[in-house]
Amino acid sequence: MAVRVQFENNNEIGVFSKLTNTYCLVAIGGSETFYSVFESELLDTIPVVHISVAGCRIIGRLCVGNRHGLLVPNSTTDTELQHIRNSLPDTVKIQRIEERLSALGNVIACNDYVALVHPDLDKETEEILTDTLKVECFRQTIASEQLVGSYSALSNQGGIVHPQTSTNELDELSSLLQIPLVAGTINRGSGHIGSGMVVNDWSAFCGMDTTSTEISVIESVFKLGEAQPSYITTKIRSSLIDRWVVYCI
Amino acid sequence: MPMYNFKKITVVPTAKDMINIMLSKTQRKTPTVIHKHYKISRIRSFYMRKVRFTQQNFHERLSLIIQEFPKLENVHPFYADLMNTLYDKDHYKIALGQINQARHLIDNVGKEYVRLLKFGDSLYRCKLLKKAALGRMVTIMKKQASNLVYLEQIRQHLSRLPTIDPYTRTVILCGFPNVGKSSFLNKITRADVEVHSYAFTTKSLYVGHTDYKYLRWQIIDTPGVLDHPLEERNIIEMQAITALAHLRAAILYFIDVSERCGYSIEQQIKLYENIKPLFMNKPLMVVCNKTDIVPLSELSQENKEALSIFEKHSVPILSMSTMTDEGIMEVKQTACDSLLTYRIENKVHAKKIDNILNRLHLAVPQERDGKERPPFIPEKVIEKRQHENLLTIKRILEKELEEQLGDDYILDLKKNYDLSDEYKYDKIPEFWEGHNVADFIDPAIFKKLEELEQEEKLREEAGFYSVPKLEIDETLMEIRSLARKIRERKSIMRQESRIVKQSCKPVIPRTAPARVRERSVSNFRNKMEDLGVSMEGTDNAHFTRTRGRVRSLSVSSGKSRSASRPVKKIKIDMENRSASRSQSRPPRNESGIKDIIMKNKLKKVAHKAIAKKVKKQGLKGEADRFIGVKKPKHLFSGKRGIGKTSRR
Repeated sequence: MAVRVQFENNNEIGVFSKLTNTYCLVAIGGSETFYSVFESELLDTIPVVHISVAGCRIIGRLCVGNRHGLLVPNSTTDTELQHIRNSLPDTVKIQRIEERLSALGNVIACNDYVALVHPDLDKETEEILTDTLKVECFRQTIASEQLVGSYSALSNQGGIVHPQTSTNELDELSSLLQIPLVAGTINRGSGHIGSGMVVNDWSAFCGMDTTSTEISVIESVFKLGEAQPSYITTKIRSSLIDRWVVYCI
Repeated sequence: MPMYNFKKITVVPTAKDMINIMLSKTQRKTPTVIHKHYKISRIRSFYMRKVRFTQQNFHERLSLIIQEFPKLENVHPFYADLMNTLYDKDHYKIALGQINQARHLIDNVGKEYVRLLKFGDSLYRCKLLKKAALGRMVTIMKKQASNLVYLEQIRQHLSRLPTIDPYTRTVILCGFPNVGKSSFLNKITRADVEVHSYAFTTKSLYVGHTDYKYLRWQIIDTPGVLDHPLEERNIIEMQAITALAHLRAAILYFIDVSERCGYSIEQQIKLYENIKPLFMNKPLMVVCNKTDIVPLSELSQENKEALSIFEKHSVPILSMSTMTDEGIMEVKQTACDSLLTYRIENKVHAKKIDNILNRLHLAVPQERDGKERPPFIPEKVIEKRQHENLLTIKRILEKELEEQLGDDYILDLKKNYDLSDEYKYDKIPEFWEGHNVADFIDPAIFKKLEELEQEEKLREEAGFYSVPKLEIDETLMEIRSLARKIRERKSIMRQESRIVKQSCKPVIPRTAPARVRERSVSNFRNKMEDLGVSMEGTDNAHFTRTRGRVRSLSVSSGKSRSASRPVKKIKIDMENRSASRSQSRPPRNESGIKDIIMKNKLKKVAHKAIAKKVKKQGLKGEADRFIGVKKPKHLFSGKRGIGKTSRR
């Protein structure tokens, strides 16, 4: 099931959290409401950890990771790094990398097997990605946006990308990633998918503004609960059309 | 999409209130004091301002009314028609038109009297002109009294109309009175409409909302419609007709098969035939209600035949009972589904769907390489899913903890560390002695420690650290005891000298005679003899050849003391001397000075010290104690504040 959450009245929850199959990172906020949503959903299975990166709360945009590892930008302090190391299981490798494009979450989108990266990313960073996260790297853009991380949300079961991605591009990306993909929106029509939601193989969290149709798309493409990706073209297709096409009749 | 919200129209005051408001506002917000000896131009502008201000206020207030009430031409035809039935279009338009006219008249009055005021030649005349102007404005407003009352009523009624969105997915319930339309609405939404067993319980439109297929559906309950010509219909019925005529919606035509509503099935079918034109081009369903009393199968042959007319028109017939909840969900789903397909068809037909086609496309991956990429879902999650109903132990969430502790709550970052409890809470400084601790963190520290310990153990076993035992014989013992004595003596001497030093600060009183040396040959001799050293035969020893103390000034340094004459001294009887007689003291620069060499030396030192002081302070010489201004004027004159006398 996809859960709606808000971080201090902000719907861009992908900015303030990071979710993978082996851990979940949450920003340190003013109150524990946000953290507790993740805690109640996940803490039985994976660690849910409060962290900051370079003293900032925008951890979801600054770091990137999957179940094998976690990459944090150069600006992460030693204490923060030590805190992350202490909190995550030993199977997760943690690496601090020197990269000019330091908002790693914005420039890299990945699941446990494949990563899409910003075309201008360092070669070394790409190598570290392959080693630490054990992924194949592809330099790509999504709907001619270079920030692939902010315009997509991927899991091992499916993915959502920017709403203006063309059908051909979708097919191409899907073949690269080897997962079913749809173009969609989050938070009542926002195209910033990566910053609007976080997802792993069995759960998803999205902003409070997300509509029921958007949630139905999320649930079916990420195979949450009983839903299947094929529902988008069959079962819920008519609801989607009726919701998205206005000013008719 | 325009949203219709008539709840925000501001209150329309009655004519009397309006006049009071305006006049008191003029009184409050314009100047009130004027005298007849003021310049005439000032008097004129004083009254002109009052007239103009009142006129502007009236203008604004009336414009607000005209602006805020919906214009029938601009709203959706459904609302236009509904307002026509409820409030009578002509009356409504005339009322607004007259308000507009009144505004125009007031503007003219204001203009006219301002012009006249330009020629007012005294305070009295100006005042009268102002009075006349305000009076005429008030009269115009008084004439609008009935219109204002009417508009206020309309405002109140409009604000209580249900918020119906004419563009969204809508299902309309219609039929004879008392056939169970409102009961159905109550069943599928949370509208909580009044339901009674008499006809025309519902006197206006009601709206409820329900969810189906991830979408929100608007269900409109209409008042019952009777079977008579349109002209004879009353306002209550006309509302239902308006909704049916103007809203593109799925329509559920309710038929009471039990005939408990007081109308036979035949009559109900006849009504259907009569208002059929309203259902054109809309998804339509016939709902047979109250089947708990008479099931469809038990209907009489005539009625069955009568109902078969719907099949001829290919209108689906559904049966349900709001009493037993039987078939309610089927009715809702069929209605919603048919409306949805109808809307989708329209949209696809209108080619509006093209720009969202990519969002309806599910990209399925083509095989790239033979690699398996399975999802990674922990066992625990699958287990949890299967036993979802099982009660799990409820953990205390951080949020609850925060609420419990209130202000005392502190976020514990170390609580969930993946470390043993032993050193989970160990404090590690960020910096230590100017070094970043993190730079020295070694992941292999335990391994290295173990290696070191092993090495150490080996060394220990090899006897690296065993100390060889010393054998103590007698000579050694003697040496040691002697050494101890020496040490003791040394420490005593050290302490003594320290005490002596402390008490022997070089303070020499003026009267003090020159210090006589304790060390002398005889002393030395005695001491040595005490210690048991024989001092015989030492007459010519080196230490006997000493130089005695001389009166440095009177004796030449070359002669020995024994050879020189003793200096004469006045013998003074100390007891008899009176206090008034001065003592012969050595001069100040000579007291406490041993000999001429010392004196010269001291002279030099003193000269240097004086020269230094003189140079430093820019003095003329040693005796220069010049003070520039004795009592500077600025420090000693004028008033004294709260500060000190010395600091100003």
